[in-house]
Amino acid sequence: MNPFTLFIIGILQAILLLLLAPLYSGFARVMRAKIHSRTGPPLMQNYRDIRKLMTRQEVVSEQAGWIFRVTPYVNLACMFLAAMVIPALTTASPLEAAGDLILIVYLFALPRFFLAVAGLESGSSLAGIGARRELLVSALAEPILLLVIFVMALLTKTTNLGRISAEVATGVFPFSLAYLLGLAAFAFAAYIEMGKLPFDLGEAEQELQEGPLAEYSGRSLAILKWSVYLKQLVLVALFMALFIPFGAMTELSIVAFILALIVFPLKAALWYFIAAIFENAMARTRFMNAPAVVWMALGMALLSFVFYLANV
Amino acid sequence: MTSIQFFVLALTLYLVGALLSLFASPRTSRGVAAFFGLIGSLSALLAAILALTEGTPPSLTLFAIQPFGEFTFQMDLLSTLMVALIALVGAATSLYSFSDAPANVSVSFFTDLFMASMLVVVTVTNAFYFLVFWEVMTLASYFLVVWEFDKKESARTGFIYFLVAHIGAALIMVTFFLFFGKAGTFDFAGIRAASIPSAVKDIVFVLAFLGFGAKAGMVPLHFWTPDTYAAAPNHVSALMASVMKKTAVYGILRFCVDLLGGSALWWGFTVLIFGALSTVFGAFYALSEKDIKRLLALSSVENVGIILMGVGLGMVGLALPFPTLAVMGFLAALYHMLNHAFFKGLLFLGAGSVIGQTGTRDLNQMGGLARRMPWTALTFLVGTLAVTAIPPLNGFVSEWFTYQALLNAAGSDLFALRVFAPLFAIVLALAGAFAVMVYVKAYGGAFAGPARSENARFAKDPSAASVVSLVYLALGTIVLGLGAPWIAPRIAAVAADFAKQPLIAVSAGWTMYPGNPLVSIVSTPLVAILVLGLLTVPVIVVAAYGGWRASRRSNVEPWSNGYGYSSVMSVRASSFDQPVKVSFRPLYWVRTLVERPYRAAANFYNAAVESVRRAEPVVENAVTRPTLKLVETAGQWIQTLQMGDIRLYCLYIIITLAILLVVLFGGSGS
Repeated sequence: MNPFTLFIIGILQAILLLLLAPLYSGFARVMRAKIHSRTGPPLMQNYRDIRKLMTRQEVVSEQAGWIFRVTPYVNLACMFLAAMVIPALTTASPLEAAGDLILIVYLFALPRFFLAVAGLESGSSLAGIGARRELLVSALAEPILLLVIFVMALLTKTTNLGRISAEVATGVFPFSLAYLLGLAAFAFAAYIEMGKLPFDLGEAEQELQEGPLAEYSGRSLAILKWSVYLKQLVLVALFMALFIPFGAMTELSIVAFILALIVFPLKAALWYFIAAIFENAMARTRFMNAPAVVWMALGMALLSFVFYLANV
Repeated sequence: MTSIQFFVLALTLYLVGALLSLFASPRTSRGVAAFFGLIGSLSALLAAILALTEGTPPSLTLFAIQPFGEFTFQMDLLSTLMVALIALVGAATSLYSFSDAPANVSVSFFTDLFMASMLVVVTVTNAFYFLVFWEVMTLASYFLVVWEFDKKESARTGFIYFLVAHIGAALIMVTFFLFFGKAGTFDFAGIRAASIPSAVKDIVFVLAFLGFGAKAGMVPLHFWTPDTYAAAPNHVSALMASVMKKTAVYGILRFCVDLLGGSALWWGFTVLIFGALSTVFGAFYALSEKDIKRLLALSSVENVGIILMGVGLGMVGLALPFPTLAVMGFLAALYHMLNHAFFKGLLFLGAGSVIGQTGTRDLNQMGGLARRMPWTALTFLVGTLAVTAIPPLNGFVSEWFTYQALLNAAGSDLFALRVFAPLFAIVLALAGAFAVMVYVKAYGGAFAGPARSENARFAKDPSAASVVSLVYLALGTIVLGLGAPWIAPRIAAVAADFAKQPLIAVSAGWTMYPGNPLVSIVSTPLVAILVLGLLTVPVIVVAAYGGWRASRRSNVEPWSNGYGYSSVMSVRASSFDQPVKVSFRPLYWVRTLVERPYRAAANFYNAAVESVRRAEPVVENAVTRPTLKLVETAGQWIQTLQMGDIRLYCLYIIITLAILLVVLFGGSGS
């Protein structure tokens, strides 16, 4: 596929993910309600919330500076970029030249930095506490992500997302115990980064009233919420691209494109389904207990690395 | 003029600046030193640029004293890079010091002397003169650290710095005598050519690595850095952190790699392990600081760790041999060195402006400065984004190369490397994530939230000169990040030349890759364009919903659960790191352990001061008075030999000047 076609597919894919993201979060809410035996909100509730917030008056704390104001926009732009680079519909990266896996991991730090500073800028204690928790949780998840990425990169001799994806999809890749453990560890780390229970520590609705989001309102809140939904879907797409790229286009054809358009949303739905079951099977833990759980994921990643070394 | 003439001109300007500032009033001396520092730096920069255009490395021999050998400057690619680094940062600190340095004759004098000595250290090709100017550099920086010598704390800090620097210098000195014993010369060329037994080489490596490592501030020899940088004037802290540390890394490269030939595998591993330890501990300890200068100093420990990881990987690559790894490792190290010089210089100068305005180094006493000091805040933000390796700025580029070097190492045939390289990648990732926390804390504590003291409420951007120097460093940071596809191959050429390995391709057009585009590609300019361009997406989204018509109000207090808001409710810098302190308690326990030698040194200082006070009368009666008497008698005796004719003295001066001119510009053709 030539770079221009891929670029167009990348834009289409990012728009698709952007449009679908609130739907999946709505789906997670519905699942949660069903498991609680409640009726729950309608599937499309998130879209309605966004539309409602967009036209509401925005109220900003007087302490807040320009970082607080631009943070929602920076968040959405970064996530949109990640959605363009990660191979979701194709096995090749739609925007290969922009960067590799390491860039994606570091790119997530940009919105995180802005969100944390925005939390401090607002002057609210809840936002400040949420900001510092958010940073700690990602500090715990990031080494796991990178170790698994290293194992995958060593197995495929590249950190290029598209090439890893293509190798796994076409079966050139040696499926092994290392791959399976890496898959589990990466899924765990992605689950942590998505802020699902019990890692919902930054926002922590019950105690921190959505943490860094607490001071946002109106269109800023709408954009920020949307970018949080998109971040979750982007993490799912990253996981799928690395470990389960099956069904994505390997070459350009209408049939393959339609197939990819059907398969990817189904894979993502399956992820959200499984994640919802996990999320609702777990109780909230105290914040300080979170690292203990994370060590388990790091253990899995290390084990995957050991299996790679032993060639199992 | 040739490059070496500009180089000598730069040295002369620094020295003239230093000497003239001695004869000026404190306020004038500050301006004199800053002016000569600035034009000296520009001249050194021209020298570095011209040196690149000349085919052979330019060199100049000033004089030769046996048995020490020739006093020669040579600008090979590595030295040229170092000269450029000193000049680029020196220009900024000089500009900054026009109005924001302390008005103090001693500070002015030693600042220019400090810069001159660093220039000599990185270009001289003789071990003896290297050590002499290393000592000048150390002493100049020592006098800058103790500039507030009437403060008890400052004197103690200076003493510890003095002690550590001299233990390091002593170790380095021993390596020179070992070299001299085996090679019979102090000249670098002679040492390189000599055949040195491997046991001696091992000893030399250990001594030189520890000696330079102490100066670079690697863990566990880092304990002197936070206090020292905090005590020095702000522009000097910037110089020490961004440039002086790099001369120590230069020393490691020159002695352990160039002169010794980097032959043993365990050397590379040693450097790599110390680098990894510095990276992770530096980040952790920086997080627990609330003093902005100590925080930045400890963050420098982290960054020196990253540089040493690159150096270690390069050395391992040389020993294996694995040419791609060697060049990648040194490329990562040199690039990070340059990057760190820019963003840490920027952060220290920015912190200096903040300290100047608020009168405190305590982050808890600042707050809300972004609105009061917009330029300082904006440039400081650029620095924090760069130091936390956030793409597309420059910190990301060099860390990306470090990751690629680690990946190369992990794919090598050596089992130990296959095991450790990915684990070091975890260390780098963990340190990166903590660096984000460190700098959210630093930026957030100083610039965000409500003002937490009276001074912070009335702060403002300081003088235009300091703002210009901050903007210049911030632009440099951006250029090093976005221009990476064009800058990286140049630095790769330096790395390949210095390691005597074949050059590898690291970029094509807008993209960068680690030797082979199939392994990985990254393009920082493209990412920058995309992030900025994609900011239109949320704007369009809001427009599509008609959201821009909605009004906004920005005069409300933050939500505080229905109680009246008070600024003490905001999260303070010192509480920001509390979750980490609890989660990673064992790592902080290690610090307590490492700080023991520091405490011991401090106690020793107090004891020494006490014993000197008691010993003074004894020494005076036994040594000082007889010596004085002797000198007096000798002086009377010599006086009879003197002509006492002023014209003769003038003749002496003219002859000296003539000889100097002949040596300088007559010898420059060689």
